[in-house]
Formats: sequence, structure tokens, C-alpha cells
Amino acid sequence: MGVELELQLLATHDFDLAPQAEDLLRVTARHSGAWDIKPEITRSMIEIGTSIQREHASLLAELRDMRDQLARAGRRLNIAVAGGGTHAFQNWSEQQIYPTERFRYISELYGYLAKQFTVFGQHVHVGCEDGDRALWLLHALSRYVPHFIALSASSPFVQGQDTGFDSARLNSVFAFPLAGRAPFVRSWDEFGTFFDKMTATGVVQSMKDFYWDIRPKPEYGTIELRVCDTPLSVERAAALACYLQSICRYLREEKPFEPAEDDYLVYTFNRFQACRFGLDGEIVDPKTKQRQKIRDDIIRTLARIDEHALDLRALDACNLVRDTLFDGNDAAWLRARREPGLPLSAVVEQQALRWARRP
Amino acid sequence: MPNWTLDGLRSADPVLGLAFVMLLAVVLANMLHRYARLPRVMGTMLVGALASPFALRLIDRSDLDPWKPLLDLAIGVLVFELGSRIRPRWLYDNPWLAAMCVLEGVLAGIAVTLALAWSGAPAVSAAMAGAVAMSTSPVIVMAMLHESRPRGQVTERLLLAAAVNSVLAILAIEGWRVVAAVGAPSPGAEMLSVGAGALYVVCGSFLLGVACGYVLHRLSRGTAESGAMPVLQIALVIAASLLAAQWKLSPLMTLLAAGVTARVAMGHRLTVEPQLGSAGAVLTVLLFISLGLLFSLEGAAEVWPWALAIIVARLAGKALGIFATAQKSGLGWRQAGALTIALQPMSSLAVLLAADSFVRPTPPGMNSAVLQALLLATTVMQLGGPLAMQWALQAVARESDGSGETRIGTSSGSGTSSSRSTAAGAGTSAGAR
Repeated sequence: MGVELELQLLATHDFDLAPQAEDLLRVTARHSGAWDIKPEITRSMIEIGTSIQREHASLLAELRDMRDQLARAGRRLNIAVAGGGTHAFQNWSEQQIYPTERFRYISELYGYLAKQFTVFGQHVHVGCEDGDRALWLLHALSRYVPHFIALSASSPFVQGQDTGFDSARLNSVFAFPLAGRAPFVRSWDEFGTFFDKMTATGVVQSMKDFYWDIRPKPEYGTIELRVCDTPLSVERAAALACYLQSICRYLREEKPFEPAEDDYLVYTFNRFQACRFGLDGEIVDPKTKQRQKIRDDIIRTLARIDEHALDLRALDACNLVRDTLFDGNDAAWLRARREPGLPLSAVVEQQALRWARRP
Repeated sequence: MPNWTLDGLRSADPVLGLAFVMLLAVVLANMLHRYARLPRVMGTMLVGALASPFALRLIDRSDLDPWKPLLDLAIGVLVFELGSRIRPRWLYDNPWLAAMCVLEGVLAGIAVTLALAWSGAPAVSAAMAGAVAMSTSPVIVMAMLHESRPRGQVTERLLLAAAVNSVLAILAIEGWRVVAAVGAPSPGAEMLSVGAGALYVVCGSFLLGVACGYVLHRLSRGTAESGAMPVLQIALVIAASLLAAQWKLSPLMTLLAAGVTARVAMGHRLTVEPQLGSAGAVLTVLLFISLGLLFSLEGAAEVWPWALAIIVARLAGKALGIFATAQKSGLGWRQAGALTIALQPMSSLAVLLAADSFVRPTPPGMNSAVLQALLLATTVMQLGGPLAMQWALQAVARESDGSGETRIGTSSGSGTSSSRSTAAGAGTSAGAR
């Protein structure tokens, strides 16, 4: 597996987004560690990517190293780095597109949506043996998408307001015409046919043009889960990745169900519930048609995957996921930090301190 | 009926004259900004210069003296705000940045001193000019910050460097007084006395500033939700300025320390509106008109070589200090160039010396020709400084002005492509979008 995290760059005097991605990239150009750092669509964002990891402990160690090196580099530049799915009070119109060909293309194509895309997510890649198995896993995982949304939700505030959503970030993603989910095809050949049709229309040029919740990444040999908000700590980011890893192993080895197209009948509703209500949301099981709280579904899932987590040495990660169910997700944590009479910048500062693991 | 001829305007009440000039300044400054893209600050100073004794003679410099308390307040408001923007710990987190801030000021001072001395100026006067030349005008920096709203690394370093080099300039001026006492009849006693005085000014200003910052912190606790913060801040600035003046301390250093202390103590509870609100904005217009009125071209025909030497040597000194530490401190070359240019506006002598009058702030023992050259250089760099700063921040550093305009191109030295093979990033040069 591999983890990508999109991070916020903040000015320390007002904790608004700071357009200093180039500066941070320059200062970290010779960083130690196998992780990678690159720009994102606007100049107040950066993205880091881990190396290929197989276990929770090494993934966490790499993320911590990344966090510490970025924090040091940020202090040299008087900027703070933070997690979180959205910035609480940034104005999208003030953001600047990072000057690369790809981002200019997106900006020209999507207009203001490109700047509104100043949101921050965690993407997790899981390796698959071949395209057919990748597609099977992609569709099987769709049932668990609400888990990851609810567990990672850390974007309750947008443009200075409490949106009422635990994850408002995904509303920005859904605005794109090629957002949503992958078509229900079972073989890689079928997918190739679909992709060829789409490129022939000129609507897409590459896989990167699809903003699906789960997306195949054939050049890496992975599928990529893209629904998570960037958590407020690397510990939670690693836990979510290993929770996904454990679920994938469970699905591949036990094949508890066969994905079907009808599973997607409830997909959008379940997704909305997770975004809006987080762990308290209610989802409909596509097979049994039963409703249950997302929290309860996660508890049951954890019980089923514990053995796989043990084999993968990911029990610590699953235990952290369990703790989240009762302590609350990051959206709840952010809301709890909002004090009357204090500006939202105080919340963002707490966010940055939590990312840096300072009280 | 008022007489609308120039003679009539000159003989009118000075308060009316100043009000008329303020009106004109706002209108003309906005026109120059709209049609010629000149900073409004520059337009306002130009109007002041037009009204000055060197042009239309609408207002005499001595007419400004009754307004000095308000002008001191305007300066104090901007300096306090500058202090509140500073995070002193950054100097600790980036020691090479601390070195940059000190070096650019010190090397500028040394370069100016040497350039003047080499050109035949008396050494003691050259040293004084060097001390003054160290600083960048904090009022112009803050005024341009409000006008252009840049955000970025160069902007942050500009603010910090302006604060540091202003403090260094004050220290250097106090040091100069000690050195100048060598020529006194009893040099030992005189130097001791002046030295004690310098120590008093520096330590006293710092302590007064810290005390004022903490007072604001304590008083604001009960007023956070009543919207009284701007009033408290202005009252604090007035009190700090007057106390500093009364106790012969440095208002500039006092208010910088007060702003820094307030920010450290209060964190997010300190909300500083630009120019502390609309009252401060009015005072700022008045301030820049006054700076224009104080422009001096006196003796330009004779002293222009020294003035040019001051400007060029200052530029070279600051450039050397910045470029020597740029890479180590994490600044790109292009940004280093932008910062050098942005630091060019010079501080008014009156601001640095906290003189009692605007008419002629003359340090005792200063050669009059050197003083004229210094005032001429200050005039040029105050008038041209805002334009240079605007160009540096927008065209060279390409930092945001808050309008959300897309900037094309990157700062120098930025590496954006990934060459490492990772699970998530192999072969891509940009992010996941």
C-alpha cells in the first residue's frame, strides 16, 4: 500500500492559507526519507506520498518522519503545516493556481471549480495482482466507502461557517462532472473498452481525469481510495490505511460476497449519510437492505477483519479505529475547539498543533 | 467668500489648507493608481510635496507642528501593527534568517559610511548617515502591505527585516551619540553620560513597550466581545507614544515591542484591524501628506553626489547581506532580489530621532551638507520606495495581492518534479488532481 496526503500550508500570523508551496518544495528538495513531496492544484497545498509499505509500523514511521521534516522546514519559512479536509475560513477566490501545465489545464477547463478544489484528502493505494482482481476489489470496497468517509471526516467548516457536515470536502469533489464511481465492469478488458470509448469522445485524456471515489491506477498496479479527508494526525492516517489494507485482505481471501451492480443503488445515499452525519450516519446494507449506524457497521467489520489485521501486524491500527468510534472523529474534535468569542483561526492553529503533535 | 487663488489658499487657515490637501491627495492618489498603476501612498506623498514650500507653498513645515501628536499617533499605529505581525521565534527557528536581518542592516550602514567617507564627508557625520540608512521605513512597509495585500515569503521577511533594521538603526544612532562624544572637552565623562543615556533609551523603550503590551492583554480580557479592541489599541498607542516622548525614549522601539508582546501574550485574542480601523486610515493619509511636505531638495545641486552615494551604497549593502544568506535561510535568488528592492524605502529622520519638531530634526554635531544629502536621499527613497516595493512584490516575487489572480511562473530554484519511485508518486511531477 501507499499513502498520499494533501496538506495545508498556513501563515503563522493569521493561520490563513499561505501560498508558499514553492518555498517549501525548495527547502525540502534534499530531504531524507523515502517519501515524496510535490505541488498540488493551488499554491497553498502540497502533497506527500509514502513509499510502498506493507506494515503499519513502518508506514507510521515514514509518515512521522515526513511530518517532522516538514514541520522543521515550515518553521524555517514561518509557515505551519496542518491536516484537515478543508481550511476553515479560506476564500477560494484568493487561491492561486500552481503554475504547471496540468493545473493550468484543469483551471481553464473547470473555471472556479479548480480554485474551489482547495480541499485536502488522503488517498490510499492498494496493490493488486492484475486488472480483473483490481476491479473486483474496487466494487467490493464500495460498500465500505462510508466507513472511510466517517472515520476520516475533518472538514466541518467552510468559508467561516459550520456546514453541518462532518465531511464537507466531498461536496467540492462531487461538483466535477467526472466525479462519482467507476462503471460496474468486471473485467479489465471491459474496462479498457469503456476507457477507449471515453478517450475517443475527447472527454478524458487519462485516468487522472476521473475523480471517482475509488479509481484504478494501472501504472502503479493499484486501486486508489480517494474519499478520505486528510486526518488531523499521521497516526490516524496510518490507521485508516491499514484498516483498508485489512479489509482488502479479508475481501480477497474470504470473498464474503460478490459485488453486484445493485450494490450501487444505495451508494450515493450511504455516501451522503457519512459526509453529513459522520459516524452517526445511517447506511443501508446493499445485500440485506438493513439500516444501521455507520459506527455499528464498523464495529462488526473490525470484528471480522481482526484475524487479517493480526496477520498484517495492523492490530494497533484497528485499535485506533476502534478508539475513534467512541472518542469521535476529527470533525467532532474541530467543533469542540471552537470557542465563543475566538476567531476560527484559533481552531486552525489547534489543528496545526495537533498535526505537529504538540498540545 | 474664500479666495481660490494660490495666494488666497496660502493665506487661508492652515487647518483648512490641510483639509483641502487631504481631499486632493485622496482623489489624485486614486487617479494615479487607476490610470498609471502608481501606489496610492506615492500619490499621497506627491500631493504633499506639491503643497510643500518647494512647489506651491500651500503649507509650511512649521504648520505641521501642531499636528505632530496626530502624526506620531499615525506612525505609532502602523508600527504597533508591524510589531503584532512579527513572530520573534522565527529568528530562532531560522538562524540564517536572523543573520540576514542583521547583516542587511549592518552592511548597508557600513557601506554608506564608507562611501561617504571615501567621498570626503566627515567621518562622524558619515557614520550618522550610515546609522540612519540602515533602517527601512516601517510606515511605508505597512502602508504598502495594506494597499497591495501581498502574501508570501518575501512579504514575511520584509516585515521582519524592517522591524529588525529599524531597531538596529536606533541602536546605531544611540551608539553614534556615544562615539560623537569623543570630541567633547571631557570625553570620558561625556561618553559615560551619553552611554548611560543610550542604555536608558534602549532598555527603557523595550520595557515600556513590553509593559504596554501586557496592559493591553489584561485590559482586553473583559472587552473581547464588546468590539472595543480597536479603541483599546489606539488608546494604548497614544499612551505609549506620549510616555515614550515624555520620558525621552524611542516611540518606534516602544511600539514595536508593544505589538510583539501583545501578539505573544494574547494570540488570537488580539485582532488588529488594518491601521487599527478607519480612524487610523485617516491618520495614515495625513501622515503621508506630511512626509511629502517634508521632502527636501535643499542643496540638491551641491550634495547630489553624496545622496547618490548613500542610495547606491545602501542598495549594495542590503543586497550583499541578503544574497549572502539567501540560500542558507531558504530563500530563492529571485526572492532575494525582490526582498532587496522591497527594503529600499528609507525611514524619515524625524521618525528615527523622535524629534520634537518636523521643521529640521538635526542631530547635534552633524555636518549640514551630509545632513542635506541624507534628507535628499531619504526624499528620493521615500517617494520612489513604494513603487519599487510594489514592483518587487508583484512582478519579481510574484506574491499574492489578495485578488486571486493567477500568477504564471515560479520563484527561482523551486524543484517540483519527483524523481523518487514511490507507491503513490512514481513518475508524476504534480499532485493527484
